[in-house]
Amino acid sequence: MATSDNSTLFTNVRILDGTGAMPYSGSVLVQGNRIRTVGRSTAALSPTGATVIDGAGATLMPGMCEAHTHFSWNDSATLAGIQTMPLEEHVLWCAKIAKKYLEAGWTSCVGAACAKPRLDVVTRNAINSGQIPGPRYLAASQEITVPGGLGDETLPHLPFPEFSFGVNVNSADEMRKAVRMFLKYGVDSIKLNLSGDNFTQDSPAETTWMSDAEVAAAMDEVRVRGKRGTSHARSAASVKQSLRHGIDVIYHASYSDSESLDMLEAAKDRIFVAPGIAIILAMLYEAEPWGITHAKAVQMGYMREWEAAQESLRAMHKRGVRILPGGDYGFAMTPHCQNARDLEFFVKYLGFTPMEAIRSATLYGGQIMMKPDELGVIKDGYLADLLLVDGDPLANLSILRDPKRILAVMKDGVFAKSPEIAAQRRWERAA
Amino acid sequence: MADIHYTNVRIFDGGGEAPFMGEVLVQGDRISRVVKSGQGMRAAPIVGAQVVDGAGAFLMPGMVEAHTHFSWNDQPSLDAIQRMPPEEHILWCAEVAKRYLDMGWTSCVGAAAAKPRLDVVIRNAIEDGTIVGPRYLAASQEITVPGGLGDTTQPHLPQSDFAFGAIVSGAEEMRRCVRMFVKYGVDSLKINLSGESITGMPSDRCQFTDVEIATCVEEAKAWGKRVAAHARSCNSIKRCVKHGIEVIYHASFTDEETLDLLEQHKMEHFIAPGLAWLINTCHHASEWGLTPEVTKKMGYHRELEAAVETMKGLRRRGVRILPGGDYGFAWTPHGTNAKDLEYFVKIVGMSTMEALLSATAWGGPMMKRGKEIGYIREGCLADILLVDGDPLADISILQDKARILSVMKGGEFHRAPPLRQARTMTRWAA
Repeated sequence: MATSDNSTLFTNVRILDGTGAMPYSGSVLVQGNRIRTVGRSTAALSPTGATVIDGAGATLMPGMCEAHTHFSWNDSATLAGIQTMPLEEHVLWCAKIAKKYLEAGWTSCVGAACAKPRLDVVTRNAINSGQIPGPRYLAASQEITVPGGLGDETLPHLPFPEFSFGVNVNSADEMRKAVRMFLKYGVDSIKLNLSGDNFTQDSPAETTWMSDAEVAAAMDEVRVRGKRGTSHARSAASVKQSLRHGIDVIYHASYSDSESLDMLEAAKDRIFVAPGIAIILAMLYEAEPWGITHAKAVQMGYMREWEAAQESLRAMHKRGVRILPGGDYGFAMTPHCQNARDLEFFVKYLGFTPMEAIRSATLYGGQIMMKPDELGVIKDGYLADLLLVDGDPLANLSILRDPKRILAVMKDGVFAKSPEIAAQRRWERAA
Repeated sequence: MADIHYTNVRIFDGGGEAPFMGEVLVQGDRISRVVKSGQGMRAAPIVGAQVVDGAGAFLMPGMVEAHTHFSWNDQPSLDAIQRMPPEEHILWCAEVAKRYLDMGWTSCVGAAAAKPRLDVVIRNAIEDGTIVGPRYLAASQEITVPGGLGDTTQPHLPQSDFAFGAIVSGAEEMRRCVRMFVKYGVDSLKINLSGESITGMPSDRCQFTDVEIATCVEEAKAWGKRVAAHARSCNSIKRCVKHGIEVIYHASFTDEETLDLLEQHKMEHFIAPGLAWLINTCHHASEWGLTPEVTKKMGYHRELEAAVETMKGLRRRGVRILPGGDYGFAWTPHGTNAKDLEYFVKIVGMSTMEALLSATAWGGPMMKRGKEIGYIREGCLADILLVDGDPLADISILQDKARILSVMKGGEFHRAPPLRQARTMTRWAA
């Protein structure tokens, strides 16, 4: 029910602009898909035909960006449980989840890997063409790994690649071929599993097994097509390997040493770190229904990793490395759309202020989405990705994961979730 | 969900009588009360029910499309449908399923899918709420023979992945094929018994041996599944009767013997001719290179004439003719399906009442739901359309989305009726 001239005026809102500045009262005029004017006064802008949303003091903030998204993880407890979903169902699952992210306030998502070769690309294309609702999306490849590494789900007696969660490569040439295939399919990024993960006990978090020649071949192809490399890198060695080869987005980065921290700091204007700490915490404290008791998780190495990760990420934050929310939601113990918990974790465990946590989802979000000058903050001329939130996220970040408190979601000037109107509460409908 | 109380509506209940003014109460997913109202009477309010004052609008059962291909993607050839990758194809099907419901088709009978699992997955996704769509019976791919309708492989590209249909040759291959689709969970098997002129094998020819057909039917029946046939030729129609194939699609060419045969077995078969395909291929496909001259050479004009005569004959004999069919080609785009009802009236000679019944009362058994679907009666499933105007006076209004004021499926509004004050300028948050 948008008005014909497609403009919307938010009045009487508390603007949390995403830059790190303190909120102020004002109004915001959206025309087409962009923010036309931000008014820094309680006096409303002239509506001139716009749909007026009186915020009644609610917070207006930029749409959030999830920096480490797996639409195709299907809230299963194992990689095999994700992998065995048939293709057709998997596509519809991704479409459903994309819509949920948008309605939950994530107006941008950075794909971090998908479970079948084309899922991310197809979902991104369907969102962009308007076929399905969803956030702005950067499409990822599958995880590229080595035989026996994280993501190789084939069994000795069933060696078929279709059984594998990731793509297994075993030389620089095979890597080049796999990367070229994904680039042909149209991905925005190539995901390399450079370290293991405690989730897969045969290749734990502190192991690092891809050869430099393999990583170099991948990044060579990525650069040829102007795309981006991303890495699953929990070990310090894998973080350093990522930095050596020019990978821009480093996922996890749990373990560090002084060398890796120095390298991260030196590259801080180029790189992004999205640690995805929710999965570590969930494995330690919330995974018992799926057979992972606390004792088992400790034995799997999660406590050791959690302690290392807190230390590493606190140090990175102090050194000014951009740390972003998101990561590994989509398992049974970290279901989709609880992603805003990351912001609370950043404050509670990593020494962020609430404002820094907001900035990590907004200002930094625009940057990781490769639109640093037009996305992620509320500013004249920027893309109109906005949330209307009931309450003050700076006082209580948990409201950002409460659907009732997210009053409205706008993406590209169009409401993905409309604010409730008085008339919708009427009982009587007339045809 | 709230109970819904439609008041002040003109009710067409699917029974064939003239519509009457009255009220309908929907509780849960069913119709719980239908009341005729006298002149000047006011509806008694019902506690807790949301009232929809129809202001005299026409209330009728949701329509049933008897010959649906969600996976046909509005392209001009089978090849162009087949080449869509599976990921895009399933999203297409989901989009189209919603479009059908938008247009008032609350039930659809799948007539064949373009890839093995598309129909099954869509049906399941509708049922579990992942996507929005009509009630749906899922079909297999078209089962055909090498060189027959649906074999789009080429001599130098013989891989089965290139084929639009599932190609079998011999009874044992047929059996394996049927079992595969049954394993996938289809509700019906689609078998191409006749040709189709545009594909090279003319419509009045038959393919398949009797042994192959018998194997298909035997295996389908063993699993409790239905068989539906693409049967344009006279002989293929006879084979449908002979083998007990319940759903006969097209049925263009007949002789007196075939018409009599169908009359004798009229409660055992459904006919969905898909006239839109013939009409539009003959007259409205020039944009895609199919000028009337070209389609005349292909034989479509002759077939259209034959099909109209057949439908007239079947109508006189009381054989059930249902709307739907082969929407989803470039010149028969999805969503325009209610044109079939107009063709039934204008070309076949049905009354508007008969045309409406073909989409409602006959839809229930076509959906294997007996009289649960297709009627506005107590105890029936609440699949209900509210229409602005009188389809009995002008059947074509059912083609106009704006005239279909609301669509309810299973007691829930898919499209709610427009609000009286929807144009308010100010929205209030919080």
